[in-house]
This record gives sequence, C-alpha cells and structure tokens, in this order.
Amino acid sequence: MTLYDIIFYLFALITIGSAMLVVTTKNIVHAAFALLLTFFGVAGIYVLLAADFLAIVQIMVYVGGILVLIIFGVMLTNKITSVEIKTGTLNVLTASIVIGVFMGLVVSIMVWTGWYSMPAPIPATTAYGLGETLISDYALIFELLAMLLLIALVGAASIARREKESL
Amino acid sequence: MDVSNIIESLKLIKPEIAVSASLILVLIFDLIFHKDKKLIPYVALLGLFATGYFVIHQFGTTGFGFATKSTFKAFGMVTVDSFGTFFKLLILISAVLVLFFSSFSDEIKKTTDRLGEYYVLIFGMILGMFLMVSATDFLLIYLSMELLSLSSYVLAGFTKLRDRNSEASLKYVIYGSVSSGLMLFGISIIYGLTGSTNLYVINSLIQSPQINVLALSFALILVMAGMGFKISAAPFHFWTPDVYEGSPITITAFLSVASKAAGFGLLIRFIKTGFAAMTLNNGYWMLNPIFDWKLIIVILAILTMTLGNFSALWQNNLKRMLAYSSIAHAGYLLLGLAVFSNQGIAAILIYFFVYMLMNLGAFLIVMLIADKLGSEDVDDYDGLGYTSPFLGISLAVFLVSLTGLPPTAGFIGKLYIFSALIDAKMFVVAVIGVLNSVVSLYYYIRVLKHMYLVKPKIQPVEIIPGLSQKFLVLLLVVPVLFFGIYFSPIVELAKNCVVLLGF
Repeated sequence: MTLYDIIFYLFALITIGSAMLVVTTKNIVHAAFALLLTFFGVAGIYVLLAADFLAIVQIMVYVGGILVLIIFGVMLTNKITSVEIKTGTLNVLTASIVIGVFMGLVVSIMVWTGWYSMPAPIPATTAYGLGETLISDYALIFELLAMLLLIALVGAASIARREKESL
Repeated sequence: MDVSNIIESLKLIKPEIAVSASLILVLIFDLIFHKDKKLIPYVALLGLFATGYFVIHQFGTTGFGFATKSTFKAFGMVTVDSFGTFFKLLILISAVLVLFFSSFSDEIKKTTDRLGEYYVLIFGMILGMFLMVSATDFLLIYLSMELLSLSSYVLAGFTKLRDRNSEASLKYVIYGSVSSGLMLFGISIIYGLTGSTNLYVINSLIQSPQINVLALSFALILVMAGMGFKISAAPFHFWTPDVYEGSPITITAFLSVASKAAGFGLLIRFIKTGFAAMTLNNGYWMLNPIFDWKLIIVILAILTMTLGNFSALWQNNLKRMLAYSSIAHAGYLLLGLAVFSNQGIAAILIYFFVYMLMNLGAFLIVMLIADKLGSEDVDDYDGLGYTSPFLGISLAVFLVSLTGLPPTAGFIGKLYIFSALIDAKMFVVAVIGVLNSVVSLYYYIRVLKHMYLVKPKIQPVEIIPGLSQKFLVLLLVVPVLFFGIYFSPIVELAKNCVVLLGF
C-alpha cells in the first residue's frame, strides 16, 4: 500500500462516515455540519485525482456557498432545531438483502473488471484545458447547462412564491 | 472542434434553438408585461409554430453534429434523422394541444399569477425532450433527461391548491432522483469500461473480448432504470399513478404522451446506436450478442402491460385509471421494440401517433368534466352520457380506441404492433399482448357503463362545452375515427421515418 492509497482511503472514510452521519442523525444542525465533512472529503479525492480546479470549485461553491446557506437557513428558521426528524426504518430484512446483493455486485465488478485506462501525465493545471473543452468540444453541453440553471431558477421561484389567488 | 464544425452543427439543431429562444422570449415577456398575462399563451403558441416550421423543414435531413476531438469518423453528440424528427413533431403537436387545454383548464386559470412560469417550464420540457430523441452521447442524454425532469417536477406540483399536488411533485422528485442517480452510476461504469461517453465509440469498443460482461450488463440494467422511469415501464412505474393523479390534468396529459415519446425515442436510439452491429436487408437488426436485449425488453414489456392492465381494473379515479392504462400502453410499445426490426419501429411510430390523439382526447374530456363536476370519480359519471351527449360520445370513441377495437385508430396501432410480432415469429408474446387488450376492455367499458347504463342517484349535471372546446374535442375525435378507416397516410409517414442513423 503506497502513501497515495492511504490518503485515498482516509478521504474515502471521511466521506462515507460523515455521509452516514448526515442520514442517520436526528439533529438537523449536526447533519448540516456532517455534510460539510462529506464535501470536504470529496474535494480531497478530487485533489488526489489531479483535478485541482474541480477541488477548488467544490470547496468554494459547496462548502463556501451552498453549505453556509443551508446552515444559515437552519439557524434562522424558528424551532427547526427542535423538529423531530423521522429517521425510522421499515422492512429492515428486505432492505438489507437488496443492499447486500447490490453491494456484492458492485464490489465484485470493481475487483474483477479490467477497467479502461490510459496513462497520461499529470497536468500542471486543469483550468485552462477545462475551459477550452467547455467552449469547443462541449459547447452544446455548456449552453444546455445554462438553460438547465435558468429552468432551475424559474422553477425555484415558482415553488417559493406564495399562492394568493382565491379559489 | 474548430469553429466551422460548431457552425455546421448549429444548422442541425435549429428546432432546439427555436425552443430555447421562445423560452427566453416568454420569460422576458412575462417580466415586462407582468400586469397583464393574457398575451403570454399567444407568445408561447407563436414560439411553438416557429419551432414547428423548423421541425417540418428538418424532415429528410440527416447528419451528425457536435463531434468531439476524441470521436472518430465525426460521429457527434447529436444525431439528426427522420426518426428523431418524427418524435419531435409528435412532441410539438401534443405541446400545441396541451397549450389549448391549458387555456380551458380551471386549474391553470386559478394560477394566473404564475402563468409565465408555467409556459417557460413547458418550453423547458420541450427542449429536454427534443434533445433526448437526438442524443447519442451519454453526457447529452443525462443532461437532457435532467432538463425534462426538472421542469416536470415543478409542473407536477404547479397549482399548489390541493395537498395532492405537492404530494405528486415530491414523489416525482424522489423517484426521479433515485432513478437518475442509478442511471448515472451505470453510465460511470460504462465510461470506466470503454473510456468514452459517445454511443458510436462505445458500440465499436464493446465488441472486444476483454470487456467484462457482468460489469456491462450491470451497468446497462442501471441505465435501463433511468430510461424505464421516463417511459414508466414496470418495475420503475411506481411514481406514475400518484403523479398523474396529483398533477394538473394538462400536465398529466403532456407527461403521458410527450414525456413517454421522448423516453421511447431515447431508448430506441440508445439500443440501435450503441448495440446494433448492423441492419440486415429484411429490416431486422443484428444486435451485439454481449447483452441479451431481446430477453430484457420482452420481460419488461410483459411485466409492464400485465401490471398496468390489472391494476387499472380496480381504479375508481379516472385520472388514476388512465395512468395505469398509460403504463399498459408503454408495455405494448415495448413489444414493438422487442422485435428489433425496422418494421417494429414503424409500428411504434404508428402506435405513438394514434396514442397521442386518443390519450390526449381522453384527458381533455376528463378535464372538461372535472372542471364542471369537481370530481374525477367514475361513480360521479352516472348518467352523464344522456345529459351531455357530445362529451359522452367523444369519450366513448377515445376509450374504444384505447382498447384497440375497430373502426378506431387504436385498432390500427395495435394491429401493426402485433403483426410485427407475428412476422418475427414471436407468437407467445403476441398472444399475451392480445389477452392483455381483452383485460383492458373491462376497465375502459366500465366508464361507459357508468355513463350510459347505471341509474344516477341524483340528477346528473348538464355539461355543455363552449364552441372552442367543442372544436378542440372534434379536432381529436375526427382523426381517431378517420385514421381508423383510412390509415395509409400515417403508415406511409411512419415507414418513411424509420431512417435511424447508426450501424
């Protein structure tokens, strides 16, 4: 096991462990802070994959922006911390069988598959190449993402708007 | 990719550009004239007609657009061919009809404040569907599906007047996110196996012996989960009844026709581009033997129609019944795909055209009745056939057509599907399909029984549709009857449109 592997498993452990906490904890503030660790772990894996730009975006947008907003939202909302969150479990047996089979499949595929790999030098920086690809090869995808975000904004505004028309 | 390539590719996506432009136009119009929302439907209609011009113009055009550096032979992300154009036309016609429905619907009239958003989101759905039926790259497939899903999640809970609305929206979001997550996971495995997201490249790479069959099959089943969700095929159909029942009827109608058409267009193109080795002279596709598509599709089809038909038997709410019936119809359509031949695809195109007319028609009548009656329960339909003969007879025509009995167009659709199956020597499957149609007769006719034979407990309401509403109903009834007798135009159109680029 090389140092690289150890660091990878460390970050993977942080990600999965905190993600479990997000789902299972009954306190919404704890969940929000655990989510912070999850995002951080993912950012670490990005760094290991030499995706420096992605890692920085992950930290800046998710940790710096979205998560702070979530925590603000939680803290500014009255009584939200005392709301009982239902994390009950149903059909434990069926669920564990399904998840067990699924996990067995995933693990066996992960181990036995000859993945497509192409050795490439680690680039000094990825931001330039990423930018170039986005406006040349993936120009359509880029524009479509813009439309997707516009739709998301319109949708969010529509959901958030208070219904005032009379019946 | 250099600039000239992009400019060449742009010529291929004119309809999509027109949709995006109309979307932005409606949005800006809504912002400027926010006091008076009366004009917005007309702007939207204008946008649809402009798009229609480009779509009709595109018939016969074939080409690949947006090829990336890594894709050889200039196979791009977007493939334009008559098959895709047919589906675009179908989506567009149903969008125009749904626009008219919306102008009558009481549910939508109550939300005049947010009318602009309503039309913007409908355009978002259309944009997603247009790209879905022409996508040959996993990136574009995923993104266009998300665009469609995101718009329909909001529209499903648009009116917010009843609890059922929010419930529909929430259920749609949860089921949709799970299935799109599964699909993304499948895509990532395929990318890991082949190192490409382009379907043409994947097609040529998966024939090599070092591809792990287990990993590929697992990934494909996951991808099928995403696409099966869109066409509401069993076992990914659980969202359908709740969402269809809770959404505004106009959106339900649109989801049941256009969204399903886009899903089928995507699925057919995905299989053909990604897995067909070649098309034989007699029209049958030779699929790569690495994954048994035929078995999977046949099982899905039988499961879907049987589950849909048998669940529909017990439904009292008409919207819910039509939801289960639309699941069953997805099963029949999958049968057409299971043949894996050009004949089967032509049958699907014919069926879809007919399905659009009759399903939209049935939803329109249910909407007109629900606006007056305030209920979609079948028990409240008692005696309606005598007090409102026009709506009663029209609904009867649509329901008979949905069953697939002559002389309606529904019969032609089913006839072509089953004859494609028999030509392919899939007799057992054909018999199961026909038996399923017999089951479906029961729940369609039950509505007619309530309308004509059951003695009403209270004096039934008289529902007189307005002139424009009558005209719209006739616009759907007449073709259903007409194409049932004189069907060669659609058959010709469908046969000309099976041109699917690929191997």
